[in-house]
Amino acid sequence: MEATAARPANEPEPRIALRAIDVDLHQHIASWQQVAPYAPEGLRHRLERPGGPPLARHGFKIIGPRFGQAPRPINAHGHAGHPAADPAWVKAEYLDKYGVDLAILTGPVLSLGVQPNHDMAATIATAINNWTLATWVRPFSCYKGSILVAHQDPLQAVAEIDRLGDDPGMVQVLMGSASETPLGRRQYHPIYEACVRHNLPLALHIGGEGAGMSPPATAVGHPTTHFEWYASLPQVYMAHMMSMVTEGVFERFPALKIVLCEGGIFWLPHIMWRFDKNWKAQRSETPWVKEPPSSYILRHFYHTTYPLEASSQSELAELLEIVEGQRTLLFSSNYPNWELGDPFTMIEGLPNQLRQRVLVDNALALYGQRLLPEE
Amino acid sequence: MAKHVVAQQDEIPVGGRKIVRVAGREIGIFNIDGAFYALKNVCPHQGARVCLGRLVGTALPSNVYEYSYGREGQILRCPWHEWEYDIATGEALFDPNVKIVSYPITLDGDDIVVTVGSP
Repeated sequence: MEATAARPANEPEPRIALRAIDVDLHQHIASWQQVAPYAPEGLRHRLERPGGPPLARHGFKIIGPRFGQAPRPINAHGHAGHPAADPAWVKAEYLDKYGVDLAILTGPVLSLGVQPNHDMAATIATAINNWTLATWVRPFSCYKGSILVAHQDPLQAVAEIDRLGDDPGMVQVLMGSASETPLGRRQYHPIYEACVRHNLPLALHIGGEGAGMSPPATAVGHPTTHFEWYASLPQVYMAHMMSMVTEGVFERFPALKIVLCEGGIFWLPHIMWRFDKNWKAQRSETPWVKEPPSSYILRHFYHTTYPLEASSQSELAELLEIVEGQRTLLFSSNYPNWELGDPFTMIEGLPNQLRQRVLVDNALALYGQRLLPEE
Repeated sequence: MAKHVVAQQDEIPVGGRKIVRVAGREIGIFNIDGAFYALKNVCPHQGARVCLGRLVGTALPSNVYEYSYGREGQILRCPWHEWEYDIATGEALFDPNVKIVSYPITLDGDDIVVTVGSP
């Protein structure tokens, strides 16, 4: 075919190849007064107060610089500002300079699902979603939003998904993994049904564990330090993953896809092996689990590169084969929280044949057309 | 292939079993609702004497949060690790590729006849 041959009318213009898609960028709320106007009227006044709305916290705080080598804006007085408060600045200083073409926003509040006031939590979710669309997503084609929901009240979460589920600026539903109960339990199934109804993946993000109505962040009780808390968080993903498989979430919603943000991957082979092993003998207790549990895990769960546990290249290659990383691993920066290092240095050990998939192709396959900027 | 008379029908009532030794191997003979089955007494997992396991029913594949118990007496659970096998086929319920060796069985008058190859 000649290079000048006319394209069929329904075929889109060829795109410039994407360099990287970041599936986990935390936009920052510099002031709740800026967000409050986007809240539903009834509880808006609670967001307008100087300290913002009530938000239960877990009480852990990292020692030392939270942003690592992330770029920082310097104001006229020489003070460093927050690196994720201004979408234009983030685009110029992070996305453009690091070669990232698209970023999915995962927001500033990751403990919403364990806030004791359901209505307050739902109001905050709606406000953040509206604010994100208006100030980050609509003005900048490089940003895509997540529909943040407060899952302790599944009905209000479903209403929020239905309200924004077909908005082209939103590419997924987002819940904090901090939860009163394991996420496979049936009261949450309407949320998964809504995700599937709108063809949206569901992202989970650690961060609120131990806060508010959350159980202790570990199964044996509260950790003592931020160090202990953060390092132990993958067990929360293990528990949710096993709950969702055993409670039949993926039998009921075969199209549902889950993205585990900031969870690492080294723990997966252990869970997959043990889960399959026990299922062989105990499958009759959950007769709807018709396949080895690991096949649900491989088919429905996606993982992110920040923080990719460092190891030798050969170990990493072997591990990625076990978890089908060529399909399930997505590049994430966790910007601006680079306390564990630069997200690009972190993926230097990736096998070459996986780089393009992890940086671009896997995200495109998962999120589809919604991820691409509108024409 | 050699035919061996391993039991008389009235020795193994419905729901019963008999372990026999034929041509160097142990075989379990089962009577399920009047039909006889012969399975090698070796679990394909780790070699346990699987035919000594419990005869049970099982939860049939079902929709999420639905329970349907059935096949009472047709499922053999290995005494070591509780893997479930369908006695009629020897196949594990979790994967039909995992299978207890089974032997053809015929009836000749009151005789139960098992056909085995060379060990």
